[in-house]
Amino acid sequence: MTINDFSPKRYYKLVLPTVGLLALIKLTAWVCGAGFDKLGKGLLQGISFVKIMFPPDWSAFPEMLEPALQSIAIAFIATVLGTLLAVVFAIAAASNLTNPIIRNITRFLIGLERSLPEIIILLILIAGYGLGVFSGIVALSLGCVGMLGKLLGDIIEEIDHTMIESLEAVGANKLQVIWFGVIPQIVPNLVSLALFRFEINIRLSIILGAVGAGGIGYELDTSFGLLQFHRGLTAVLVILVMVVGAEQLSHFIRNKIKLKGALK
Amino acid sequence: MLEVSNLTKVLPNGRKVLDGISFKVKKGEFVGILGPSGAGKSLTMRCLNGLLKPDSGSVVLTDDQGFSSDICQIKKRELRKVRQKIGVIFQGYHLVKRASVLENVMIGRLGQISTFRSLFYGFTDKEAEEAVKALEQVKMDHLSGTTTSGLSGGEMQRVAIARAIFQSPALLLADEPISNLDPSNAKVIMKLIRPLSENIPVVGVFHQPEMTAKYCTRVIAIKDGKIIYDGDPKLTNDQLVEIYGEELHQLEQHEQPVLAIQ
Repeated sequence: MTINDFSPKRYYKLVLPTVGLLALIKLTAWVCGAGFDKLGKGLLQGISFVKIMFPPDWSAFPEMLEPALQSIAIAFIATVLGTLLAVVFAIAAASNLTNPIIRNITRFLIGLERSLPEIIILLILIAGYGLGVFSGIVALSLGCVGMLGKLLGDIIEEIDHTMIESLEAVGANKLQVIWFGVIPQIVPNLVSLALFRFEINIRLSIILGAVGAGGIGYELDTSFGLLQFHRGLTAVLVILVMVVGAEQLSHFIRNKIKLKGALK
Repeated sequence: MLEVSNLTKVLPNGRKVLDGISFKVKKGEFVGILGPSGAGKSLTMRCLNGLLKPDSGSVVLTDDQGFSSDICQIKKRELRKVRQKIGVIFQGYHLVKRASVLENVMIGRLGQISTFRSLFYGFTDKEAEEAVKALEQVKMDHLSGTTTSGLSGGEMQRVAIARAIFQSPALLLADEPISNLDPSNAKVIMKLIRPLSENIPVVGVFHQPEMTAKYCTRVIAIKDGKIIYDGDPKLTNDQLVEIYGEELHQLEQHEQPVLAIQ
């Protein structure tokens, strides 16, 4: 260690990026017109709005159950369909399983999907299929393909290739190699990612519902649109229970599977 | 019979890793391939079952039923058919960890049944019986229902041998089958492989000259991509030094010779 190691220059590596980052935050806040004064004012307005919403309208609760179940069903079906499709896309996108042409086309399609938020996909689908649950399911399934297809594709590229080689050595065809050599290796990640995506899909099904995909999101949007704030609060509480419940269920399943050794 | 002629492979950097490898292996022979690291032993093995295409040369496999094919000249579907006739035992066992011992043995015949049947392990009772018999042969039938992830290295290699037996191959290749095992398990594996050579040619890559001397019927030594020895499995100290180089010779100056077969 020399005396130069203690020179103030060594702090530049930390100070300069920090100053740069702060300047960038300030600039972007100025462009957006955001500021701490607005944050405080908005908070006070938000609190007074929540006060107006209280108490919740419990008489509306039974009417909320069906749309809530509809949202859960949308999320569930979309997760199952999306995960199955994602596995196909992931296999096609993995460099160790497919030829470069198929891989590049699949990667491009996955990238294209990921660049479009689910809400945009839903709006496109609504134009084709109209408002309703079907458009919501398709939009969320496609979102699943984009996210899980990319992640699983990367996971497949990292799997133990020796198992694939041993299957090829006994004369197994491509499908057999995938079934016996690839799928068993990605199952733990597949289950974990699918459960994580289910949690995301529950939240997204509510947001998409507000845009026209049905379910509890639609109830929430309608309640606030008709200025029925007490009813709206009931929908918010149902959503809260749904989201926390989905997270707990996902956590429970993950632990159960872990105990059985499938996620080891 | 296996007939390897003039195998040559040059890497993109111009290095010749296989240089005119030629040998024949008949039924009843257990050939051990020896040589220092990077000599071209494993590359030769990979050429024998088509996992690697040589730049030139041929690998012709013939069996008692009149089947004959040059592995270097065939592709995809035909290559898969030939691979069904070649059993391979790998150094790292290469078993499907989430499958049971019996299922792993059955995987040996994946290429021999329809894809749909294979996806659900749809083997007939006769095939299942044969798989169990293969496990009995390696004394692993008592663990047939357990998953392979909990097995020891020696046990996993025995399952890999059972898989190769169940495959009913016309040729058995063993790529460093005892490298990961302790001496006692290594002996068990060699004792299991040796009798298989009575019906089919067996070729194995080894790093243990004392094992090849004891269990192989013939030894081929490869160095710098060329065969430098082909003959009796019992090698003298001088021959070992010639194969493994001066490093071994220098080691022996200081230590008790451990590789020499007296």
